[in-house]
Amino acid sequence: MFTAPPTTTAATNTSPTTTTKSAPGRPAKRRRVSEKDTAAPLPAQEKDDEGRQWPRLFNGFESPSAADLRKKTYESAWPVLESEIESVLRDANRQTLEEVVEFLNSDVHECEGRGRVPAGFIITGPNIAGQDLLFSQLGDVLAERGEGRVRFVRLKAGEVGNLKGGLKRIVREGMGGVEGGDGGEGGGRVVVAFQDSEAFDTGLVGELVGLFHSWQDRIQFSVLFGIATSVELFQARQLKATARQLYGAQFDVVQANAVLESVIMAAVAGAKAQLRIGPGLLRKLVRRQQEHVAGVGAFVSSLKYAYMNHFYANPLSALLVDGQKLDKEILQPEHLEAVRMLESFKSHVEQSVEDGRLDHARLLLENDDYLKGRINRQAAKRQQYLGKLLQSLALVIATEHSKRSFVELYEAALEEGISLDQSPGPFDLGDAIKRSTPEELIGLIKRVMTVVVDGNPSLHWNGMGIGQDAEAAIDKFEALRADVERLIETSKKKKTSLKSKYSSQSRVLRTTVVAQKVQLSRDTATLTEEDNAFTAAIDDFFAFFKTLVGCEPLSNLFLNEVWQYDYHLPYEDVFVPRPGATFARALSRPHDYLGCACCDKANGSMVGTLPATSILYHLYSEAGASINVADLWAAYYALVGEDSEIGMDERSALVLFYRGLAEMRAMGFVKQSKKKADHIAKLKWL
Amino acid sequence: MTVPIFELPDELRLSLITKQFPCREPQIRALATLLNPSSAPCRNLVVYGTEATGKSAITTALLASLDGDSFKHAIVNSIECITARHLYETVVGKVAAAVEWEAVAPRCESVSQLTVELSKMLRYTERPDGFRFVLVFDGIDHQREAPHTLLPALAKLSEIVSPSLYHPLSSLLIPSLTTLFILTSPPPNNLLTTFTPNLHFPTYTKPEFITILSLSPPPPITPSTTPTETLDLYTRFLSALHDSLSRPASRTLPSLTQASRTLWPKFIQPILARTHTVKEFSKLIVLARVHFQDESLLDPTLSLSPPPTTTTTTPNPTIKTTDLATLLPTTARFLLLSAYLASHNPTKSDLTLFSTFHHGRKRRRGGFTGGRARKNGSQHRKIARKLLGAHAFVLERMLAIFMAVRTEWDPASGGRTKNGIVEGEQGLDNDIYMSIATLASLRLLVKVGGGGDVTDLGGKWRVAVGWEVVRGLGRSVGVEVEEWLVE
Repeated sequence: MFTAPPTTTAATNTSPTTTTKSAPGRPAKRRRVSEKDTAAPLPAQEKDDEGRQWPRLFNGFESPSAADLRKKTYESAWPVLESEIESVLRDANRQTLEEVVEFLNSDVHECEGRGRVPAGFIITGPNIAGQDLLFSQLGDVLAERGEGRVRFVRLKAGEVGNLKGGLKRIVREGMGGVEGGDGGEGGGRVVVAFQDSEAFDTGLVGELVGLFHSWQDRIQFSVLFGIATSVELFQARQLKATARQLYGAQFDVVQANAVLESVIMAAVAGAKAQLRIGPGLLRKLVRRQQEHVAGVGAFVSSLKYAYMNHFYANPLSALLVDGQKLDKEILQPEHLEAVRMLESFKSHVEQSVEDGRLDHARLLLENDDYLKGRINRQAAKRQQYLGKLLQSLALVIATEHSKRSFVELYEAALEEGISLDQSPGPFDLGDAIKRSTPEELIGLIKRVMTVVVDGNPSLHWNGMGIGQDAEAAIDKFEALRADVERLIETSKKKKTSLKSKYSSQSRVLRTTVVAQKVQLSRDTATLTEEDNAFTAAIDDFFAFFKTLVGCEPLSNLFLNEVWQYDYHLPYEDVFVPRPGATFARALSRPHDYLGCACCDKANGSMVGTLPATSILYHLYSEAGASINVADLWAAYYALVGEDSEIGMDERSALVLFYRGLAEMRAMGFVKQSKKKADHIAKLKWL
Repeated sequence: MTVPIFELPDELRLSLITKQFPCREPQIRALATLLNPSSAPCRNLVVYGTEATGKSAITTALLASLDGDSFKHAIVNSIECITARHLYETVVGKVAAAVEWEAVAPRCESVSQLTVELSKMLRYTERPDGFRFVLVFDGIDHQREAPHTLLPALAKLSEIVSPSLYHPLSSLLIPSLTTLFILTSPPPNNLLTTFTPNLHFPTYTKPEFITILSLSPPPPITPSTTPTETLDLYTRFLSALHDSLSRPASRTLPSLTQASRTLWPKFIQPILARTHTVKEFSKLIVLARVHFQDESLLDPTLSLSPPPTTTTTTPNPTIKTTDLATLLPTTARFLLLSAYLASHNPTKSDLTLFSTFHHGRKRRRGGFTGGRARKNGSQHRKIARKLLGAHAFVLERMLAIFMAVRTEWDPASGGRTKNGIVEGEQGLDNDIYMSIATLASLRLLVKVGGGGDVTDLGGKWRVAVGWEVVRGLGRSVGVEVEEWLVE
């Protein structure tokens, strides 16, 4: 969850938009700076280096090389992810593309839908922005496969207003090379794609289809519709005659949720992501995707914004560079001071004191070189943590016993750590693993071994590598598998079924009829020797599996603030603005923004010192649907007039009143009522 | 060389066409007589009849067979002409191509210019004796942007373009241009003029339908059935099909073809299952009676075939996942439901339904319906609201409904997070406006009346989805929409 960052980083973690606005020339303070002038770049610095340098943080005390380093780190970190996301998105569409191209090339419509226009209905979901990529890919694929004979025309509702416009476009793009369209060469074919078919004028689609149909004997037309809702709704809007001219097939695009999950796997959880998006922010992002019509594009730009924010405004992000590269020169006193303000530093020191490592704690607090050494070691620790995290996640996924989605697992892992013992919990796999049958256990061991050796490509985790640990793990799993296989063999020979004491079959409810009474007795089936051995194998496996899976919560790590970003307020301000609420808040509590001394005690209530508009807003929110202006004036004047503390004379009060009212009208709160001449109508209810 | 004054059309040619288009012999003969230069050529000819009665196809075939040195034709399909000017230019181009005229005018903007161009090509050029040109306007009644003078002007073409009475070559006073109009239904004032022959292509009768359709019988049902058996069964099936469908539905050939194509596989299912044989027609009919009564097969579908992939075995589950209810995100679903309520509930019931302020408890299903309104209700009976369809509503009202029902329908919104922190009241943020805009661009919500921004709270809107969709949508989020409707 969002925790208030320590003072220095809180000040620096403002969004880039606010940091650039600063009053130049102020004397720089070292501490307790207000948000506005945190990152005040000195004017001279801003101009050097073709003017593209990032502002120095620490109130301008950050060294240019550190600022440069942050910029370089960002520039190396983000593009990797961007191309990664791009390839994930392209991959997601591949299957659909294959199907569509196959449909367009097939001759199915030759026999069944003779004389009709073949039409592909691609159900894309309401994410209209995502259709762009799909259709451009489609164009590429068609151009590639069609060997120049297939023309692909994309129509967007915004660009095609009427029939003539649409036809012009089709003729220009579709017939460009096909000389004499009515020549009847029969070779060329034109694929017309209606990208956002719902937005098209219904009549227009019908007319175009009618035209294609009548030309069908000379030019082979095919149409594709990108459909966001459903084919039924689409058909309900079209004329029956149009429907009769089309011969269609339906294609589904991989749904947004699945795409989102693979994007998160690659770009947020994967090993290539330099910055960890904290669980709180990630949850917000995912929830926005699920609840609102925000495409994956919105998610990606939010992600980019988080990266930008982190590297732009957090001076400690410079520490993200690899330990070796992190020159001691880069580290300046301000960095160390900032580090000592961090929540994780504090808890680390407290923990050390509790553990009795007083020297360590003292050195951390007092010795700069010691702290530098620690800072340099954290990069390695981060790698180690990430390795363990990804290993645990990959193994948990490989068991196929977890009912939760990857995103949920990942969030839980960051927030609470991974522990197989916790029950109930997201990683509560013990029962499921123990209940498995011998065959299932062998399958499980095989899957786990594959993951150990090869890793998980969608997470960019390459397996445990070729260390001692890996070899030991593989040996162990091999031995277990051999054991279980041997046990299966033996039990087959004995013609008994192999089971463990955990499997449900071992406890049988037995009914016996004794003297015409039914007796129920719970009977524990006796376990054979093999069964006991198998039970031991399961226990052994689970115990070893537990050693491989497990990690701490992210926030427990020393210096996690350097590579974790979990602030959702900047994101919400930029991506989910609430103009209405902002207006209401600014008008009801203007002193929060003005910072004036006179309204200190107002605290949201109505006092005479507030600006006139704000007073009127207060009165307005208490009034009903139509407001008598004379009454409003009387109430206003009572507050600021000569009898009150303010003691304003009537003329100036009236001027302010009128101005306030005009502003209210300009903001769309009131309008002149038509019913009564001296009333104004309330407009804003929400 | 003497040209005989009257000669019947060539039988050989006619028999070919008659074979090609069964059941149309009278029409073919009449058309041939009216077009053939040596029979009874006329200036204007109107061919009319409903769709798929063979008008265009027969005309095309006949004209192609008549083509020769002294007989040329051009067919202009109005559907392919976007404007009237496009039509004129197409006419000029096609006529020029037909008579191999080289100096084609690049543009032709009006009927008068069309007349000039045609006169150049047809009237003032030396042509062989008895030359005849037939200009066909197919579907001229569907011409886009047609000026209202178009039809009369085109009807006069033949008079103007044909050589004048005193032309030395036209000693027989036979016009050299015939204009043929193919229409769906003739304009009524055709009856007022006497000189235009009309040729009606009536719809096929039942025996004709069966004859035509059984010309292309389906493949044998099972390897053991002979083609004759299949054909026999198919003929009887067609007859039953024609009778079972109501007359207007089965009026046209395409709809009957489609119906038979959809029904035939279902009809022969028992034979494939080997429970019945080909001979047991009446038993088969009884078994397939449900399908015969199903009106939905008359609806022309987009005939969705499953995508031609190897994994065609499981098309059904994939269709389910692309249901509208699962495609839309939750907020959009709530907005759509709110819009439906706003469209279908009267404004006066809003307080009863959505406000908890005055009443303490919600009283759903209309608390206000009784009382005053009943007393003078007998004077003019109102039409039930739901029969009137979706009403327009003000956007603000819809948003107010949305805000009111949101917390009840979706406890997650504005609820507490795991850490116990209240996430603040979720106001109207931009995501909601984005959802509205998306719904509008998907045409699920429609803005009524032009002007105004999408975010204008005073704008009028209407919901564009029906009850079935909304009910499914509601159930997908655990809301029974019926409980929230007043009537």
